[in-house]
Amino acid sequence: MIAPVLLKIAVEALWANQLRSGLTLLGVVIGVTSVMTIISALEGMMGAIEEDLAVLGPTTFIVTKAGGVITSHEQWMEMMKRKPIDQKSVDLVSEGCELCERTCARVDGSARLKRGNNTMRRVFIGGSTFNLVDIADMEVAQGRFHSYEDDLYRRRVIFIGDLVREELFGDTDPIGKTLRLNGTKYTVCGVAKKRGTMFGESQDDFAIIPYGTHIKQFGAPGRRGIRMMIKAVSLERLEDAMDEVRMILRAQRHVPYDKPDDFTMLTADNILEALNSLTRIFRMGLIGISSISLVVGGIVVMNIMMVSVTERTREIGIRKAIGARQQHIMLQFLFEALVTTLFGGLIGIVLGYFIAEALVGMLDMQISPSTFAMVAGLSISTGIGIIFGLYPAMKAARLDPIKALSYE
Amino acid sequence: MPLIETKNIWKTYTMGSEQVHALSGVTITIEKGEYVAIMGPSGSGKSTLMNLIGCLDTPTQGEYYLNGKQVSTMNDDELAGIRNREIGFVFQTFNLLPRASALHNVELPLIYNGSASADRAAQAESALTKVELADRMHHKPTELSGGQRQRVAIARALVNNPSLLLADEPTGNLDSKTSIEIMRLIDDLHKQGNTIIIVTHERDIATRAHRVLSILDGQIASDELTPEDRRAVG
Repeated sequence: MIAPVLLKIAVEALWANQLRSGLTLLGVVIGVTSVMTIISALEGMMGAIEEDLAVLGPTTFIVTKAGGVITSHEQWMEMMKRKPIDQKSVDLVSEGCELCERTCARVDGSARLKRGNNTMRRVFIGGSTFNLVDIADMEVAQGRFHSYEDDLYRRRVIFIGDLVREELFGDTDPIGKTLRLNGTKYTVCGVAKKRGTMFGESQDDFAIIPYGTHIKQFGAPGRRGIRMMIKAVSLERLEDAMDEVRMILRAQRHVPYDKPDDFTMLTADNILEALNSLTRIFRMGLIGISSISLVVGGIVVMNIMMVSVTERTREIGIRKAIGARQQHIMLQFLFEALVTTLFGGLIGIVLGYFIAEALVGMLDMQISPSTFAMVAGLSISTGIGIIFGLYPAMKAARLDPIKALSYE
Repeated sequence: MPLIETKNIWKTYTMGSEQVHALSGVTITIEKGEYVAIMGPSGSGKSTLMNLIGCLDTPTQGEYYLNGKQVSTMNDDELAGIRNREIGFVFQTFNLLPRASALHNVELPLIYNGSASADRAAQAESALTKVELADRMHHKPTELSGGQRQRVAIARALVNNPSLLLADEPTGNLDSKTSIEIMRLIDDLHKQGNTIIIVTHERDIATRAHRVLSILDGQIASDELTPEDRRAVG
């Protein structure tokens, strides 16, 4: 086998020209690093979001006025014209849906929280029925969540996030203490377990008050409407439960049989799908842009290989004179390009991983090495080596031995 | 069967609209074991003839048989194979790979015929021993004198046991003392049974050969055997 010997010759030639090989390498490293960084970072972020959505639970779905993937202005306008989900919808579903284990109504608002001299502005204030804690990712660290009675009697109790506890109460025990929500006095009934940050934002700066209390405090939900979180009895019956809810809501909202739903139902899978299609576009765009640096890297390889072939014309002449065939010369130079780009690719994959880790780390997320990114990185660099190394190698292989020998 | 047989070979180059005949109808026959010098002034066509005999090029017209095989119609790769097996080149400028050791330079032809690594080293070592350079085989060309470099080139030419040793002005870049050394080595190689063709423009180099072909304006001007008593020795 001649190929291994030619590979050795190629490596020796690269080693003999370390500065040049290093510069070529750099071109490839930059290209592969940028693509790898983007692929790894995107994969990492998607992974984190997937994990986050998993806590929604596979059997839970959300009913809202509008949501999901909005792909056109018309769709947006149609969604804006929809009637909000109202209290009646919640009552109908919780009474009428047999396959729904729990139905939770949620409304959103924001307010100023104050205790003594400590103030937090524009804190997210959710209003929800007592069963939210059973449906959503809401672990109680201290105290308790609202009870059915709290909701029924519209008690001014508040369940706070960890950041709110820290800012307003510091190290003291907050349970049973009071705080002021837009001036109104509330008693803290419980504290949620710390959730950390996502996309660089704390997930702990929220407070939840009973649904009825929320209506009293902020008024009726109005055009934005209520969001329902519904837990089906089982995963197998999820689709049936959704159908049941769909029937109830269509009847309530008088949707003609030949018209589509005028509300949106989302499962964790739906949300993930929506996110995926969004990031797919994002990913393609970013990879497209960073591919330009790969092309530049490839041109660097080609350019330096051309210089190398010209400089070594005499060597090629000698090799041909003593019996090297075209394929031998071509393989020798192709190996040089391939070894450079593969090596550069490996460095790029490792560098890209660490840069992605640092980037994603800033958003308090973690990434794991992605097999897809590695395979992509290696195939990309091999591809560059072959595509941009082939022309110089062919040029070398086709040199006329007589002319090459007399080249000065 | 003669080793080399050319039948009315022509080599024509087109320069612009003009046709230049570097060789115009050369017919020669060289037998195995001969020691031939090709002489001629520069521009006479002797380099072209050497390139054709060495299978680095093919004639525009005419036939060339090497060892009974018609090589004038072969393609690039077939010619490379012939050069590898049948011809050992010695050049005026040595043409060694500067970065490779003497041993590696001598191994080179064996790489391209696919010899195994161990065989290559052994054969290259024995070829270097023949030219008395066994003690220098790990030196690079830049660490060797001109004469030593030419010895390495001769070892490389011999390592494949070719049918023909083709030397193009082998002493052109050497001082007269070293030239004599190299020519003695070539004489010895002939005595050991190698067929040798030496291209030169120096009369006293040419007369060491047993037969002198003079070439002028692309044609054979004379083809003489050098009588034994007139052969240059030393």
